Amino acid sequence: MFRLFLQELRFRRIAIIGWGLGLCFFPVVYVGLYPSFADQMAGFQEILDLAFYQAMGISMGSFEDYMASTVTNLVPLILCIFAVANGTGTLAGEEDEGRLELIVTLPTPRWQIVAVKAAALVLALLIILSIVAAGAALTLQVISSQIDTNVTPKNVFFSLLGALPLVLAVGMISLFLGAFSPSRRVASVISAVVVLVSYLGNNLSGLIESLEKIGPLFLFHYYKATGEALKKGQSFENLLALSIITLVAFGLAMFFFQRRNITVGAWPWQRAVIQS
Amino acid sequence: MSDYIIETSGLSVYYGKHRGILDVDLQVERGEVFGFLGPNGAGKTTTQRVLMDVIRPTRGKAHIFGRDCQKEGVAIRERIGYLPGELNLYGEMRAEEFFKMFASLQKNSPDPLYWRSLAERLDLDTKRRIRQFSRGNKQKVGIVMAFMNKPDLLILDEPTSGLDPLVQQTVLELVREANQAGSTVFFSTHILPEAQDVCDRVGIIRNGQLVATERVEDLTTQHFKRIRFNFVTTPLPDAVAEDGVIEISRDEQGITLEIHSHLDQVMQKMASFGITDIETIPVSLEEIFLAYYGKENGGTHV
Repeated sequence: MFRLFLQELRFRRIAIIGWGLGLCFFPVVYVGLYPSFADQMAGFQEILDLAFYQAMGISMGSFEDYMASTVTNLVPLILCIFAVANGTGTLAGEEDEGRLELIVTLPTPRWQIVAVKAAALVLALLIILSIVAAGAALTLQVISSQIDTNVTPKNVFFSLLGALPLVLAVGMISLFLGAFSPSRRVASVISAVVVLVSYLGNNLSGLIESLEKIGPLFLFHYYKATGEALKKGQSFENLLALSIITLVAFGLAMFFFQRRNITVGAWPWQRAVIQS
Repeated sequence: MSDYIIETSGLSVYYGKHRGILDVDLQVERGEVFGFLGPNGAGKTTTQRVLMDVIRPTRGKAHIFGRDCQKEGVAIRERIGYLPGELNLYGEMRAEEFFKMFASLQKNSPDPLYWRSLAERLDLDTKRRIRQFSRGNKQKVGIVMAFMNKPDLLILDEPTSGLDPLVQQTVLELVREANQAGSTVFFSTHILPEAQDVCDRVGIIRNGQLVATERVEDLTTQHFKRIRFNFVTTPLPDAVAEDGVIEISRDEQGITLEIHSHLDQVMQKMASFGITDIETIPVSLEEIFLAYYGKENGGTHV
């Protein structure tokens, strides 16, 4: 099982390094450029108060808000792309490519295959997020003397790592959809819709009073990209909620993969229609 | 304990409303080479995938080594070498890396010297990346993968597919050698001469149903006879007409008949014309196979 895990990491190594370094560039640029336009930010605030920007979760009144609106708001959203691509690619993608047949015919139980692939996905997301968090924290360390803020590099590092439960939930939902739906394409589309609806729905539910009650239905409701969260971290309740969603999605992935007809590419209810 | 290495009963698979296989009752005996014959889409791959627990049967049972393929698949697969029909490998890996990886994922790590010798026999350059390989070379990778563990049972889905004739012969040699070393071999093919060459028994699957399971020599001798009769005076066509008898050729010396039934009556009738010579002409497995499919397609041979 450990050997399979190592192989899974090996297959992902280029994606991990690429995404880690590529995504690291994003906070490095945003944090690194802040001193050069910090004075102009106040002038933008009137525009950023528009509902559109608020729906996008963007507010830039202070460095904390700027960081929350750009780095801690958008990094998890972008990393969700990796989580969806990797989550759906892990089972459904390999099945589409015809390589999963080689794996499931090994003397390894299917639940172990799902567990190993899920563990590799978790580790991949953790490594990428750690690289990004470290890049952002180091950049803040470099520019800290040029800006007036009590946000520390440590705050930034752990704040970005705090997005891990959210991206794990997205990754695990994608893994489950890969085990459930007939193809990677279908799983990817559904996963992407879940992410986008969650992101925009959560932001809109914070703006529109009548939508407030449905806020908890959205994944991003359980991740706060705010100046306050930047300093204090995510709440235990949100962490718990996302952990439960992740575990349920993982359990469903196991359940459906255990019953899946590999190579057939069908919905679960299409698997056994007996002609009498 | 059953002496069948593979045993299925009433095995059926539906893909939604489409039939994959239907009520397949199959027994493969310990130590034999069993050829699973049928055209594309007949159900060969589906049957093998059920045995490997890649897909689950809609109904029926499949056992290997006396164990349930679905419930005890892991223990079963420890002793199987499998070559899928649709072989898709990790293109970015070198063949050597792939073999090492695959060997490391086996329960009992195969001897590297053995899989290297297999690759050498198949003239496979293991230093190259798999994506650079031709289809035939990829198939060679699959063959090495299946044989590397010296398994008790080999399940091979069209193992010679995409290979040149020389390598095909090498693969058939490997099958024979594995069999002589004690492995049971279950392989599907639609290349009938190779089945005739290496198989002890064959099963013929048609439209998802197993229509015949026989020893190769029984199949070729019992299904129908092709006999050449020489006469002093060759009888007229009407004189030899009989149900279940087809006249294949005729010349001044005699006629060749394909006799599907009533052999004794036909022999008596021919004797009445004064036979001067008689010769049984061997019937190939391919002809038998086509005869089975002739039934399906409304052919007139049977």
